[in-house]
Parts: sequence; C-alpha cells; structure tokens
Amino acid sequence: MINTTFLTSTLAMLQDGHAVDTHAPAVTHAATQIAEVGTGPKWILLIIGLPFLTSILCGIYAMIGNKTKLPAWTVVAGSGIAFLTTLAMYMSFDGTPYTVHAFDWIQVHFSSEGGDKSMIANFSFYIDTLTIYWMLFVTGLATLIALYASEYMSHDLGTSYCRFFGAFGLFVFSMACLVMGDNLLMLYLGWEGVGLCSYLLIGYFYKKPEAVAAAKKAFIVNRIGDLGLALGVYLTFVHFGSLEYAVLFNDPTLLGYIESAKTGDFSAIPRMAQWIPLLFMVGAFGKSAQFPLYVWLPDAMEGPTPVSALIHAATMVTAGVYLIARTYPMFLTSEYALPIVAWVGTITALLSATIAMAQFDIKRIMAYSTVSQLGYMFAGLGVLTPTGGVYHVLTHAFFKALLFLCCGAVMHGFAGQLDLRKLSGLRSVKGWGIVTLGMFIGCINLAGVPFTAGFFSKDTIIAEAFVTPGASMIGWILLFTAGLTAYYTFRVFFRVFTGPVEYHAGEEHHGDDGHDFHPHAPGWAVNSVLLTLTVCSIAASGLYFVGGNKDTHTKHYAQTMVMASTANYESPYSKHAIHAAHDSHDPNAGAGPRGTIDHELSMPIIGGDPHKVMYYVSAVFGVVGILLAALLQGPKGWQGLFIGGRTNAAECRMDPIARMCGPIPKMAENKWYVDEIYHMILVTPLRIISHIFHWIDKLLVDGLVNIFGFLPRLLAWILKPSQSGVLQGYAVSMAGGVTILLLVVFVIILQGGVA
Amino acid sequence: MDHLLHSTQLAQLAFPEAVPAVTMAHYLFVSAAMFVMGLVGFLTRKNMIVMFLCTELMFQGAGLALIAFGRHHLGADGQTFVIFVLCVAAAEAAMALALVVLLFRHKETLSAQAWKELNG
Amino acid sequence: MNPIWTLLLIALPLIGALMVAFGREDRAYGAAMRTMLVTLIPAAVMLWYFDFTLGAVHQGAASVKWIPDLGIKLSIGTDAISLLLIVLTVLLGPIVIAASKTAIKEDRRKYYAWLLVLQAAMVGVFAARDLMLFYICFEFTLLPMFILIRCYGSTNRVAASTKFFLYTFTGSMMTLAGLIYVVYFVAQQTGTWTLDIATLTAIAPRMPVEHQAWVLLAMLAGFAVKVPLFPFHTWLPLAHTEAPTAGSVILAGVLLKLGTYGILRFAIPITPDAFIQYAPALGVLSVIGIIYAGLICWVQEDIKKLVAYSSVSHLGFCVLGLAALNVSGLSGSVLYMLSHGLSTGGLFLMIGFMYERYHTRDMRAVGGLASKMPVWTFFMIFFTMASVGLPGLNGFPSEVLCLISAFQSDASWSAAHEAGAWGTTLGPWFAVFAGTGMVIAAMYLLIMVGKICFGPLREPDDHHAHEELPTDLSRREIWTLIPLAVACLVFGLKPNLLLDAISDPINQTVAAATTSQQPPQPEHHIDQAEDHAMIEPTDTISNPMTEATP
Repeated sequence: MINTTFLTSTLAMLQDGHAVDTHAPAVTHAATQIAEVGTGPKWILLIIGLPFLTSILCGIYAMIGNKTKLPAWTVVAGSGIAFLTTLAMYMSFDGTPYTVHAFDWIQVHFSSEGGDKSMIANFSFYIDTLTIYWMLFVTGLATLIALYASEYMSHDLGTSYCRFFGAFGLFVFSMACLVMGDNLLMLYLGWEGVGLCSYLLIGYFYKKPEAVAAAKKAFIVNRIGDLGLALGVYLTFVHFGSLEYAVLFNDPTLLGYIESAKTGDFSAIPRMAQWIPLLFMVGAFGKSAQFPLYVWLPDAMEGPTPVSALIHAATMVTAGVYLIARTYPMFLTSEYALPIVAWVGTITALLSATIAMAQFDIKRIMAYSTVSQLGYMFAGLGVLTPTGGVYHVLTHAFFKALLFLCCGAVMHGFAGQLDLRKLSGLRSVKGWGIVTLGMFIGCINLAGVPFTAGFFSKDTIIAEAFVTPGASMIGWILLFTAGLTAYYTFRVFFRVFTGPVEYHAGEEHHGDDGHDFHPHAPGWAVNSVLLTLTVCSIAASGLYFVGGNKDTHTKHYAQTMVMASTANYESPYSKHAIHAAHDSHDPNAGAGPRGTIDHELSMPIIGGDPHKVMYYVSAVFGVVGILLAALLQGPKGWQGLFIGGRTNAAECRMDPIARMCGPIPKMAENKWYVDEIYHMILVTPLRIISHIFHWIDKLLVDGLVNIFGFLPRLLAWILKPSQSGVLQGYAVSMAGGVTILLLVVFVIILQGGVA
Repeated sequence: MDHLLHSTQLAQLAFPEAVPAVTMAHYLFVSAAMFVMGLVGFLTRKNMIVMFLCTELMFQGAGLALIAFGRHHLGADGQTFVIFVLCVAAAEAAMALALVVLLFRHKETLSAQAWKELNG
Repeated sequence: MNPIWTLLLIALPLIGALMVAFGREDRAYGAAMRTMLVTLIPAAVMLWYFDFTLGAVHQGAASVKWIPDLGIKLSIGTDAISLLLIVLTVLLGPIVIAASKTAIKEDRRKYYAWLLVLQAAMVGVFAARDLMLFYICFEFTLLPMFILIRCYGSTNRVAASTKFFLYTFTGSMMTLAGLIYVVYFVAQQTGTWTLDIATLTAIAPRMPVEHQAWVLLAMLAGFAVKVPLFPFHTWLPLAHTEAPTAGSVILAGVLLKLGTYGILRFAIPITPDAFIQYAPALGVLSVIGIIYAGLICWVQEDIKKLVAYSSVSHLGFCVLGLAALNVSGLSGSVLYMLSHGLSTGGLFLMIGFMYERYHTRDMRAVGGLASKMPVWTFFMIFFTMASVGLPGLNGFPSEVLCLISAFQSDASWSAAHEAGAWGTTLGPWFAVFAGTGMVIAAMYLLIMVGKICFGPLREPDDHHAHEELPTDLSRREIWTLIPLAVACLVFGLKPNLLLDAISDPINQTVAAATTSQQPPQPEHHIDQAEDHAMIEPTDTISNPMTEATP
C-alpha cells in the first residue's frame, strides 16, 4: 500500500547524507553562511510597488465612481506581475542572499563618548530562500484569490468593490513588506499593515455589528501580540545594536550565544537576550492565532470568504511562523522559547480541533481547522524542525485556501448558507462538480490521507516530535489530533457534498419562502481558480520528492529552501534517532541543550524509527478518522458502503452519541466558553477598572483641583459682609485705620523711636 | 502726646495777648481744625454735595499744612504740591459735581445711602 | 538667515489681527485666511535658508535692548527644534481658519483676530531667546485661547475656560518664580543681570543639586500642567470638549507642546542633575498617565473627550522620552511633539466636521457614518491609524524611539552604558508598561471608530441636514485635511527628514545634561561654595534700582 521502496531510499539518503558525529554539539547552526550579503537588482521592488500601486489605483477608481470590475483586474494584474517578478527573482537567485534598497526610513545616530551607534531601519528588502519561498505562494495565491474575488464580490460593484480591492492590494503590499523587509522594523511595518488590512477586510460588511466587532477584536487581540513583538524588536536593538538581518545574524554576540547554547550552557546567555525570543513568540501567537490569542481568528470569518482564504488561512496567519523561522537563531538562544512554542502549538492544535468537531458553520470549522494546523506548524518549529513547520505552511496554504474558496462558492451559491445541517448532496447538483472535486482534494490533504501534501508535511512534524527528547507527548497529542482533523474534515465533506440533495437558502436570500430558491453555480473565474488550486494542492505533495540538494544534504524542496536561509537549522535528533538505535550503548549520544536524549523516549512506536513508522501510524489515524466520519456522518447506503448513518441533512448517527456524552459536545460547540472566560477574567475587570479610573478622575483628581479653586472663593465669602455699600462706613474705617496707624507711630516714637 | 499738647497749648497761649508773629503752630492748628471739621462733616452728613464740600475742606486743611511746612523749611516744594492739589481738586470738583447731578437724576435724592447697593 | 523672516512670522499675524478686527464682519474669514497663507511664505523661506548642519545654532538671531538694567532684551532666533515647531504652528494656521469657516457664524472679527494673535504668540514662544520674551509669549497664549473657549465654546464653556486659564496660569506662576531664582543665581555668578536663555542654561547647572530640585519642581509645576502630565491633566478634557474645533486643534497641536518644549529647553538644561535624579518619578507619572488616561478613554461616550484623554495618554510617551534623557528619547519626544500635532489635530478636525453636521459628540446618539460619509470615514480611519501608531504613518517612529529610549536608559544591562553613553534614569519596565499603552490605544480608538463609523447608521432624532454643508465632506474640508494627511504619510515614511534636522541640537542637549557641572568636591565643600555664591558676589552685582535713580 505504501511505497516502502521510496521510504527506504529516503531514509538511506538521510543516513548516508550526513556523517553525523554523535558527539557533536546538538545545535548545528550555520549563521556564518549569510556573511556576504550583496545588493540585488532594483526590479525586485516591483513586488512591493505593484500591489501598493494597485491599492492606490483602486482608491482613484472609488473617487471617480467606477462601477465596473476594473479594480479586480487591476489587482489581479498587479499581483500577477508581482508573482511573475517573484518567479524571476527565484530563477535568478544564485544562493547568495542580497538586499535591495528602496529608500531610507528610520535612521537615528547616537554620537556619544562610547562610540557612534546607529539605529538603521531602511525601506529595503532582504532576499534569501526563505523570502522567496514565502513570496512565491503569497503573490501566487493573491493573484488566484483576487481572480476568484472578482466574481465573488461582483454583487457589490461600485465603491465597496473598490474598497475591497484597495484593501486587498494594500494587504499584498504589507505582506510583501513583512516577508521581504531586511530589518525587524520593516517586518513590524508589514506586521501592522497586514493587521490593518485584516481589520478593514473583516469589517468589510460594516453595517453588520458582528463584522465590526470581529474586526475590532482581531485588531486588538493582534495588538497584544504586537506589543510582544515590538518590545522584542526594541530589545533586540538595545541588546545587539542592530535590526538588520544581514548584520544581526552575523553579530558576534549572537553567534557567541549560540555557541553557548550548543554546549547547553544557557547561564552564559544574558537573561535579556533570552527574553527576546519569548517576546517574539507572543507576537507570533497573536498573528498566527495560537492559544491564548487565537480567539480572533474564528470571528474573523465575518469577512468575505476570499479574505478568509487569503488572509486568515494562507498568508497572514503564517506570519508568526515566518517570524520564528526568520529569527530561529535567536530562538535557539533561549532555554524556554522553543519548548513553549511547541507546547502552545500542540495545545492549540488539540483544542481547536475539538472545537471544530462540534461546529456547524462550515466556514468556522475551516477557521478552527486553520488554528489547529497553525498549531502544527508551531509545534514543528518548537520541536526543532523549522523545515517541517515551513513545509506545512506551504501545503496548508494551498489546500486551506482551496477549502475556503470551496466553502465560499457554496456560501455564494446558496445565499449565505453555511450550516452543514442545511446543505446536503451538493455533489449531485448540476454545476458543482469542480467545487466538489476541490473540496475533496482539500479534505484529503487536511485529513492527511497518504500521499497527499498535507500528509507529508504533517508527518515531518509529528515524526520530529517523537524523536526530540521530551517531546514525545507532543507527538502523541499531534497524532491524536490528526485523527480528529480527519474526522471533522470529512464530517463537512460527507454532510455537505454527499447524500441526498437537500438545501435551504441562507439569510441573504430574499424570497418569500425557500421553494423558489435556485442555487447559482460558480462561474468561470471561481471554477478556474478552484481547479488551479486543486492542481497546486496535489502538486505540493510532489515537492516532498524533488528539490533535494546533495551538497547541503537536504532531501526535499522545502528543506533546501529553509536550509539556505536564516532558519537554517537541523535538529541533531532527526538523524540521531536512526544512529542512536544502533549506538544506544554510547552514553554521550546526542547530548543536547535540552538534556540527554532518552533513546527509549525518542522511539516510542513499534520499536522502529519514528521517521519511518510515522507514515504508517499517521495514515492509520487519518483513515480511522475518515471512517469514523463516514460511519457517523456519512449518508446512508452511500455507494455500497453500509456504514452511513445520515438520512437527511440535519440528522446523523452522531447525534445520539453526542447526547450520551452529556454536556461535552455542547461545550465544544460553544468553543469551551473561552470567549466568555476571557470576557469574565479580562475584559470585564478591565472595564470596571476603567470606570473606577473615570470616577477617580472626576471626583478625586479633578476634585482636588476644584477644592484649590474653591479656597479663594471661600475667603472672599468670609470677607464679603464688610462691603456694606454705606459710604460713611467706609470713611469711618478709613479714618479709624489712619488713627490707629498714627497711634502706632506715636507709641513707637514715645518709646524712643526706631533704633 | 506731649508734642500734640505742646502745639495746641502754644496756640491757646498765643491768642489772649497780641501776637508778635504767627508761628508754625498756628498754621498747623488751623489746618488740623479744617481737616477734622471736614472729616466730621463727611462722616455725619448724607447729602452728597455736603460730603463733597467736606472732602474739599479736608483737602485744603492738608494743603495748608503743606504750605506751612514748605515755608518752615524755606522751600518751594510745599507750594508746588498745593498748586497741583488745587488743580486736581478743581478737575475733581467738575467731575464729582457732574456725577452728583447724574446720580440725582436717577434717584431724585442726594442721599449717599440711596446708592448702597453699589457694594462689592 | 535673516531675522526679518522670524519677525515677519510674528508681525504678520498681528497686522492681520488688526485688519480683521477693524475690517468688515463678512470679510473677516477671508482676511484671516489670507494672512495665514501669507505667513506660510516666511516659514518656507526660513526652512529653505536654515542650515540644518548647524541645527543647534540659533540662526536668524536678532537682539534689541529692552530693559537694559535688568539685561532684558527682545531677542529672537531659531534652532532646528524651534524652527520645526514654528513650521508646525504656521502650517496649522490656515487649517484651523479653514475649519472655522462654517462653524463660526457670529462675532467673526473677534474670533479670527484672536486666532491670529494666538498664532503670533505661539511663534513668539518658539522664537524667543530671551527668558522674558519667552515667558510673556508663553503666558500670552492663554488669553486668546481663553477667549476662544469662553466666547465660542459649547455649553459648559465658562467653567472650562476658567479652569483652563486659572490652572495653567497658577502653574506658570510657579515656573516664573523658579526662573527668577535662576536669573538671580546666574546674576550672582556672573555679576551681571541677564535673561539670555543660552547664558542661563550655561551657568545655571552650577546650582547645588538641592536648589536645582526646587527650581525643577517650580518649573515642572507650570510645564507639567501644560503638557498635561498625570495628575495635572483634568483641565484638558474639559477645555478640549468645550473649545471650538480650531481651539481644540491648536490646543492639541501646539499649546500642549509648550509644556514639553519647556521641559526640553529649560528643565533639562537648567537643572540637569536634579532632572536625572527625579526622572524616574517623571517616568512613573508618564507611564501612569499613559495607562490611566487610556483606560479612561475606553469608557468615554463623548468622542471629543475620548480624543482629549487620548492626548493625555499620548503625551505620556513624549514625557517618557524626555525622562529617559538620551538621544533616542529626546529625538523621539520631539518627533512625538510634531507628529501628535498632526494626527490628533486631524482627529479633532474630523470630530469638528461631524459635530457641525450633527451637533452632538455623543457616540450613543450618532454612529455608523461610513455609509453616509465615506470620505469622512476614510480620513477618520487614517488619522486614527496615525494615532494608534501604525508603521508607515507619523506616530510610529516617535513611539519606537520613546520606548527604545526607556530600554536604553537603564544601567543594569545596557552594554553601551559601560561606555558612559546613556543616562541611567529609566529601565525596561517603563517600556513594558508604556507599551501596554499601545494596546490600550488600539482598543479605545478602534472602539471609537467602530461606534462612530461602522455598524448601522444612527443619527440624532432632531437631526436636520446642514444647510451649508454637503452630507459628506465638502471640498474645503477635504483640502483642510489633505495637508495633515500628507504630512502624516511623509513623516511616517521619511522620519529622517525630521530626525536628521533635530539630531544636532538634541545631541548637544543630551551631552550637556549628562555631563554634570557640579563641583567635584565632597559635601562640605559644596556648602562652602554655596556660601561663596551667596555672599561674595553681592559686591560686584549691580543693583538696577540704585543705578536707575542717580
């Protein structure tokens, strides 16, 4: 069933590719590789400039009252050319990173006795393989999704259409700045820029209070993360004296820290340096919707579906992964950062998968699934395989965009209907073939069916979790989550696309009743995009087999790209595990920064090497998940399988089981009440404090001021009666006063005068 | 108190017999008398014109003392001052009487009490 | 650079004020507008001829004797920082006039005349090189503002203007007392009376630290009220809420900066040792202000009050940068002064335009304007984002520098500190807590935008269409906003236009402030030096009163 020859050959490649010294330090970072950073050609600025230009053009269209699809074509063309430029950049890339300078941004010079220092953050761009890797799918997907949106948003032609594509162009620009920026402040610029575009696009239907609330929530929750990132950036500058990647990752101080980390001596690294990755991590958690900052992403589904696909599934939410991959050398210098990243990713993956299982809104299911898959990526980064995390980003980008766009097509066709209890058998509705195909391909990828791209990328992560000492628990949880993922994915597929044809129009339908409702099948733009993405999703699995580089000992495309960038890091355990199986008598084998490898722990499965065994095990988990979905959610008597339990769209065999489980399914459906808990322990107290402050300000702070202002008035009130208005009264007091004065003078003179 | 008594006693002593020369004390006595009369008048009368006359009286009392002292010290300062005071008093008289006329037109009375509500 | 241009900047608005005051009521707007536009010319000339490579030198300096016995002169000149603040002031001039065109319907002559006088006074503050001139202009800004609030404000204007005037006036009286002591001290030291700011700042740091502390306290009494620093801020929300739009814009744009400018120009150079000593306290107050005012913003229903409190919160960053007392902090702070004027000024304009149409500032009564006023909403979001500190817009570089400065100005782990490079006043915790202000700012400003721009349309029940104004922004209003928006964008993308310009004076200020001029003797020697200062020079000091009467 599984091509074992392939596996053996891959493993053989792994084995002889690296003559691993088991005594070697655990961390084999080669930051010196980026020592020489050249200057690149200026035409690369097109990738940045074109999306920005399209955004401005859309603004102009809005001003002149354009009511055609011109904005869409502008953005498609802009992104398309940007994609082609990226491709050209990729083709012409010779392996040496280089920077492209656009213009100077922030430069502060500190001339002091301790020597001149500068804070330099230019508008310039750092091109290495990681950048190229990211930009390829960002611009590519942006082009496809803009094309899709040209049709999807067509009911809004006019100002709103321009607004949508204006923000879309701005998003591509910001994302490009984020990924391509050559310093951390540029990254931060892009980071905030994508946040702004996300805010604008989630709140696209601004008359809907839920959309406005979701947009606000997204921006604010992200801001909490951004605070972490910002502080991390400042701390980086203060500690290392530079923000530019080209300088920063060659900084002798940083390299020294990494040397210390190699020997496991974290006490030699200043605590402040160790704080940097922890702060970056907070930023990544915010942007990539990780626990505890994931709550904004499901709500973000209030935005139009193309937005969900591009921003909230494929590109923006992977910014956190990019950040960690980009600054991986710094993460290595912290004792706690990567383990926390791994655990948070794992917990997020599990938590959101359980929530996804109980949701009924298919877009929300996809949103939770995104959160869950991002958890996988973080876990991958955390268990020392940036390759796995980054590879999963790519495969996930394709299949999740595909899934979202399919959901969007459904939503569009059925007047906003997203409830999987009200849709069934779309497979058999005329004109929905491509959507069904796309959905199916997306689902098998997400479920991790063997030989799909999602299967390979996910397995890379899980296998690494098992070989990394102390992380096998993470491995188990991720494996279990993979089963859950398969289940909830195919729950959607079986319920919506198979079985008897049955549908109800959504709330955007304005008929008298549901009878005269006819779904309209997607047009050519949507279908062509779906087809392209389907092909891409399938093709992404091919990347697992090609692109290896014998010179750098990489075995597939993603690894080649990662290993040539600043994320260049390969866990010693990924090879050790194999060797250690033979050399377990060597007590020093793979002693690393995270303690001595427990060989028993690192090989928990069937006594074999996890890298090899994982293919089988995770395949089993995936298939079991799908079978469970078929059993509990699939249609009755479907295609000769006798396991189906669903008779109509609304009810299924799962329901009685769910009823037996007591309140748990309900709690999962209500997202484990995390939003409510946040509200209770964070928002409400803060709001109460704000009100208290408000009253303190009004009564205490301002009250004191008013009391001081009142004192003169009080004094005047006391003296007021002396002003009687009787002229003679004043004269008497005057005369009396003069008399008293004279008397005093006389008394003084009589007593001998002043000395 | 001695000083004060001294000057008044001198003045009283001076009157019964022929005065060989008017001394400083005589002037001061007259001046003080004028001032006190003015003051008493100002304090006791309610008619604004009378009150105004009383203030004039006090002015002149003070002016007399100034001239006396000026003469005593053989300087012109005192007289200069008094001429200034007279000028100011004249201007003041013009202003004040005009005001009094206006005030009378408002209330048909010359009583200062009528304007009591102008207090601070 | 010829001093005539600076003089013109002061004189032209005054002449314009006279023309407006004695001109015709219906021509007041045009005359004021023309005056403001004409003043742009000398400002542009100054920018053109200013030699930024010598930014710390007061250029275009001129000096005329005024009260020679007390050493008081009419002395003007601009260095890079004051030049930029002057340009900001002059730039805001036509904008506030244009924003008042339809808002002010009666008694226009008085209104525009006082606006012009205010303009002259503000330029005077920044251009003054003589302490007396500075102080006169500093105080004189109060009067026009008082009248603008008192006569043209909204319902609660009397209380607001009174509190504004008395609060700031009381504070600056104490400042005056402190400054007089400084003048007295310098006169004792040098033997001649002088009010030349450069001389004062050169000599005054010789004051013993205990004296410096009192002088600092006196100066801060005025400047902190003006900034306003927590807990001296309560006049600001009231004044902002009641002031007419133009008043709010000028208040936020320029008048608040007088406080931070005062700290930068007087508190730091005159009392450097005490300032370093008390900077942590100042830092704590500003951080409290950032968080406290930010949280208060969250529960405001009055949109103008919200933006006013946000000013308090934002200015906290400004003071934090000053308290850090290093190059990044001071640069960030000056940058913040300039950029806050643009973005918050813009926000007040937006609110003013909305208020003209709906006559309410209550966010419960009006909201969801995006569907009705898309252009207004665009600018509202733009300025909100500038205020939130979105990178690429003007707020960001200054915020970065202020927060970095707090990190840098810590002795315990800044590697550079060992070389004696940084002040040692604040620390990372200041940056962390101030940083939460970033989150809070996003929170309240986006909630504001969410209420006022998005959601279903809400309008007051008694709302009638404004007869003169279109539903969305008029052409005039858009042109009022465009200069601000462009400036926000330009300084967001090229902050170095400003940073390079101010780096020279700031480096000098920091260098002067961090090199103590205290005599390096032990304690009892200082006492002797103090006695020396108190007694001996009295022979040489020329008493102006005896000289004046021969």
